[in-house]
Amino acid sequence: MIDILNVNKNYSTKSADITAVDDVSLHIESGEIFGVIGYSGAGKSTLIRLLNGLEEPTSGDITIGDDTINRLSKKDLRQKRQKVSMIFQHFNLLWSRTVEENISFPLEIAGVPKKERKQRAQELIELVGLKGREKNYPSELSGGQKQRVGIARALSNEPTVLLCDEATSALDPETTDEVLELLREIRDEMNLTIVLITHEMHVIRKICDRAAVMQDGKVVETGKVLQLFQNPSHSVTKRFVKDDINDEETTLALDEVRELFPDSKILKIGFVGSKSKTPVVSRVIKQFDLNMNILSGNIKQTNNESYGHLYVAMEIDSETLQKVIDALANDDITVEVEK
Amino acid sequence: MNEFFQAFSDMFSFENVKWDVVWEATVDTIYMTAIATFFTLIIGLVLGIILFLSDKSDNTGSQPVYGVTAFLVNLFRAIPFIILIILLIPFTKAIMGTIMGVQGALPALIIGASPFYARLVEIGLKEIDKGVIEAAESMGANTWTIIWKVLIPESMPALISGITVTAIMLVGSTAIAGVIGAGGLGNLAYMVGFTRNQSDVTLVATIVILIIVFIIQFAGDFLAKAVDKR
Ligand SMILES: Nc1ncnc2c1ncn2[C@@H]1O[C@H](COP(=O)(O)OP(=O)(O)OP(=O)(O)O)[C@@H](O)[C@H]1O
Ligand SMILES: [Mg+2]
Repeated sequence: MIDILNVNKNYSTKSADITAVDDVSLHIESGEIFGVIGYSGAGKSTLIRLLNGLEEPTSGDITIGDDTINRLSKKDLRQKRQKVSMIFQHFNLLWSRTVEENISFPLEIAGVPKKERKQRAQELIELVGLKGREKNYPSELSGGQKQRVGIARALSNEPTVLLCDEATSALDPETTDEVLELLREIRDEMNLTIVLITHEMHVIRKICDRAAVMQDGKVVETGKVLQLFQNPSHSVTKRFVKDDINDEETTLALDEVRELFPDSKILKIGFVGSKSKTPVVSRVIKQFDLNMNILSGNIKQTNNESYGHLYVAMEIDSETLQKVIDALANDDITVEVEK
Repeated sequence: MNEFFQAFSDMFSFENVKWDVVWEATVDTIYMTAIATFFTLIIGLVLGIILFLSDKSDNTGSQPVYGVTAFLVNLFRAIPFIILIILLIPFTKAIMGTIMGVQGALPALIIGASPFYARLVEIGLKEIDKGVIEAAESMGANTWTIIWKVLIPESMPALISGITVTAIMLVGSTAIAGVIGAGGLGNLAYMVGFTRNQSDVTLVATIVILIIVFIIQFAGDFLAKAVDKR
């Protein structure tokens, strides 16, 4: 659906030349919710703006569907943008227009007749749950409602791709969840491809199928979301995952535990999905007649599966430990020894 | 002391005031102001939008456009109005056929006020959230659509308060133009009030001008507030 091939974007400023996007290649499937995460200045916004031609790449090609975005004429690009729509962190609604008029705006641009515009706007208002607010101005809405208008507006021309630039970053956690839920529903209903950029790992975790991690303009890691959370390989990814799980406290506690149980081994047991619901661990414990202290545990929900980990301390010799590890590995449960 | 009192009572006697003449002068002033404001609105809006678009655009061709427009705007804004009238005499004669009366005043009024309003328009447009313009671009809007559906509506309160200030300035300019031959209340105050030493006429002219200014200000504030949904 979307192919980004060896794309570079340089900015020359008076003080320095900046490579905002550095040789990025990504492939995004149709119907996928694809996340891009990175810290501030990583080049996420630049990358997403390349996708609808708000920026032109210095080199490389961006293809969406059958069109190479950076080679389209201005006129064709405007045409294409009607099908590659965008929502923004600060909503960017026209304050001079009501909810209904904001949602109709892309249709006006596309030259849709008034009657159809009204009807389509009404459908979308219902879809995003803003019935009764159509005559309100944006200044009369909450942040979450404004973003709903932004989403409805982006959907009005029935796009195939929806680009979200920090769409939930200005919202509180609860509203964020509502908006993410709405995005997922829309994806399922309209078979959209969604590209979403964020600096918040839980946004990736909640709705993305796959994600890319960016640092200094480069994509440093790409993968299925679950895989990124379970086996983050790059240090930036690890940091994001850690921030999301909030490992800080665990680390602190581990130091204390080592003092309390000097002879114990501390194990991190990781499990995924359905396995987290069967009593595999207790079975193995009984089988080897082990004693253990549970130190901390964690389960997180991703868009399709849950995953989590358990920190335990147990007195165990290396030989038994290996057997335990093998037994658990049969059930796809990973064990790491913390030392 | 007595003299002062005399002058004062002369002023309020209104014995020299010919109300039909005052009415005629009022109509002239309103007419000049209205026509000049109308053309200033259009020319200033066009110039302001050109300034705004050519400044922000990274299109290489736009830099000279900005340079030339900004230069002309600054130039005509710097010329004092009274000198502008004199400077424009040949031009006025050529296009209006006269340099006297209401007709003769209009070119100078419009050319004097348009650059001023153009700058106010530019400032108003710069206040628009860039994200909103970008959102319109991301929907596939062309420049024309952006001008009509984003730039003008989103800066409407600033455009209205700008034209209010400009119209009030134009009332003042019509009075100056009046002194050197255009009709209106300025002409009345000068020709009758000053040269014939009839201070009551001057006072009446002043009061009528103040009323016009207050009405413009009130209407402008009201409109600017009514369209502002922020
Ligand atoms: N128009 C521009 N001119 C010059 N440099 C730019 C421009 N736009 C972005 N940059 C630079 O490119 C780099 C990447 O910026 P970008 O906005 O893509 O980061 P980001 O990942 O979206 O960050 P944030 O999370 O803060 O939004 C930054 O160093 C930024 O300063
Ligand atoms: Mg950004």
